[in-house]
Amino acid sequence: MTFVGAELSAESVLNRGATQARKVGPSLSFGDARHLELSRWLVEEAYTLDDQRYEDWLATIADDVHYLMPVRVTTALGAGYTTSPGMAHWDENKYSLSRRVARFLTEHAWTEDPPSRLRHYVTNVRTFETDVEGELIVDSAVLLFRSRSDTNPASILSAQREDVLRCTEDGYVLARRVIMIDESVLRTQNLAIFL
Amino acid sequence: MTTSPTIYDEVRNGMLPAHIYNDAEIFERERRNLFSRAWLFVGHESEIPQPGDYVVRKVLDDSFIVVRDEKGEIRAHFNMCLHRGMQVCRAEMGNASHFRCPYHGWSYRNDGRIVGLPFHQEAYGGEEGFSRKGARLLPAPNLDTYNGLIFISMDPDAPSLPDYLGDFAFFLDFYTKQSAAGIELRGPQRWRVNANWKIGAENFAGDMYHTPQTHTSVVEIGLFREPKAEKRKDGNTYWAGNGGGTTYKLPPGTLEERLRYVGYPDDMIERMKQTWSQEQLDVIGDNGFMISAASVFPNMSLVHNWPKVEDGDDVLPFISLRTWVPISECETEVYSWFAVAADAPEEFKELSYKAYLMCFGSTGMFEQDDVENWVSLTNTAKGAMARRLLLNSRMGMLKDGSPVVEPLGDDEWAGPGVAHVGYGEYNQRHLLERWADYVEADAPEPQRPIGLGGVRLTPSAAAAAAAGDCATGDSCDAGTAAGDGAVDTEGVTA
Repeated sequence: MTFVGAELSAESVLNRGATQARKVGPSLSFGDARHLELSRWLVEEAYTLDDQRYEDWLATIADDVHYLMPVRVTTALGAGYTTSPGMAHWDENKYSLSRRVARFLTEHAWTEDPPSRLRHYVTNVRTFETDVEGELIVDSAVLLFRSRSDTNPASILSAQREDVLRCTEDGYVLARRVIMIDESVLRTQNLAIFL
Repeated sequence: MTTSPTIYDEVRNGMLPAHIYNDAEIFERERRNLFSRAWLFVGHESEIPQPGDYVVRKVLDDSFIVVRDEKGEIRAHFNMCLHRGMQVCRAEMGNASHFRCPYHGWSYRNDGRIVGLPFHQEAYGGEEGFSRKGARLLPAPNLDTYNGLIFISMDPDAPSLPDYLGDFAFFLDFYTKQSAAGIELRGPQRWRVNANWKIGAENFAGDMYHTPQTHTSVVEIGLFREPKAEKRKDGNTYWAGNGGGTTYKLPPGTLEERLRYVGYPDDMIERMKQTWSQEQLDVIGDNGFMISAASVFPNMSLVHNWPKVEDGDDVLPFISLRTWVPISECETEVYSWFAVAADAPEEFKELSYKAYLMCFGSTGMFEQDDVENWVSLTNTAKGAMARRLLLNSRMGMLKDGSPVVEPLGDDEWAGPGVAHVGYGEYNQRHLLERWADYVEADAPEPQRPIGLGGVRLTPSAAAAAAAGDCATGDSCDAGTAAGDGAVDTEGVTA
């Protein structure tokens, strides 16, 4: 089901003035310099998250970010919604993301000690101009492979992301991310990772 | 292998055969003897506020449509068509006046009665062959509510829900009735963990001892003010009726000051004072204890905590309800809801939701470390060595069975049940003693039929119907308040 990130973000009670940028026009040519630059941004981010270099990751996130992953629900065709009203897995601002990162930097975040082996596969990237000056929207599909311990079955998370990336003097920063996870019941022990 | 009868004796003695946390044979006994009889939480009325609103919830392998019918009654229908057994509802939530089976098109009103049966005359010879009158989706054998919490029991002869909850209802009110308006639920988040279902229930029931170790990181990052080792052991664990929980000791002050300390605004405090009994208010105002985590036997848990959700010193309380739904001996599906007083100020609701997300649920920073422990425990409990190990669950008890710390006296504890200050595994033992009592005893066959459709009536049900009693044999006890018993014996008119 297609979704509009601005709408889902606006529906959240925790959207505190995050950007409301929406796509304008068709996706940019794959040869467009902006598409190439943002594709690179996503790939660099994937390596950063795989390596769990979360302070570096946080530095690429805007102060007014809205980082949202609604709970998906199975609804009848035509119901008009596939997300749980008023409930998300992540509904984060910069402060709560910074607490999550700070926790991983303590020596007592047991769930990631030993750390998971992570691989973020990013594909199906397309870039759009938006109705907000200096902001572009990038869609991508992400598949996270997460292996813990020696023989526990690995967990896999599949999602579509709609990101708003804002051009700043220091390069692009993530101003909004809406993650549409493809499962209603997650098959991973927790979300002590980021997508 | 044969399950040794001494397992239950060991459990009652506070020494736990480690394999009870990953043993297919024991899980089969739990399925047959425990989950077939106990009352199980499946949802809250606020999830289905309008006629036709439904959610689909499972009791182990059985899928139920929990729905508010056109008259406003809460019902739970077994999600299986009377004809070929297809699920008549394959969505997880929604609103429907009818449920139509996609296989052959049989359809049912949202109160469960059959309404449509294609080619009824041609295929069945009409009522002669298949009587639609009284035919309906099977009702849950037993259904009742408390403070809007919807419980199902698979046992039509189960004790009433109030009898089952017993004195724990006193504590349920702290979580689910902070004002006359009750609570509203959001969610659930659902995810599966490779852990035995009992571990979480025990942890929430009484494990204050793990807080300073497991949850060190959330104190270090300033998320939580309380769970320093010194603080946690000043709280108590209490057991009352069919549940128990943990508390924190609050700083000195009046009732109002103590409720403000955990972040409640004055208008909510005022409504609590109008809603709770004097004894309930005294637990906080006089005794100085604030409820935290708790469990209702067997697999429902609740939590109330008050983290910092923004820069600064202010804390904000949140409430979460959950069930640990067993999938197998080594896998559990967690259903975790956010709950908040329905008439709380909007800003409070927003920040309380934020507090929940930061602490518990699929992304919660407390929860993440808990699950890592429970998965590890479950893995290790599978092997041969675990059959030789008795886990010591006797904390708070001397060798002769006497308590390390005497229970709180009447002047120190206004609540029902028995409460002990400090670390102990009293509640885990209570929970597992009940578990042993259920699992050890083979469940009797239910005395009453659950229901039927089409070709009518077993002889006993026919007799009952003739007597103007409960035609389809579903639960028709007086007093099952939201009960599923009211079957319209006039049958289908459409």
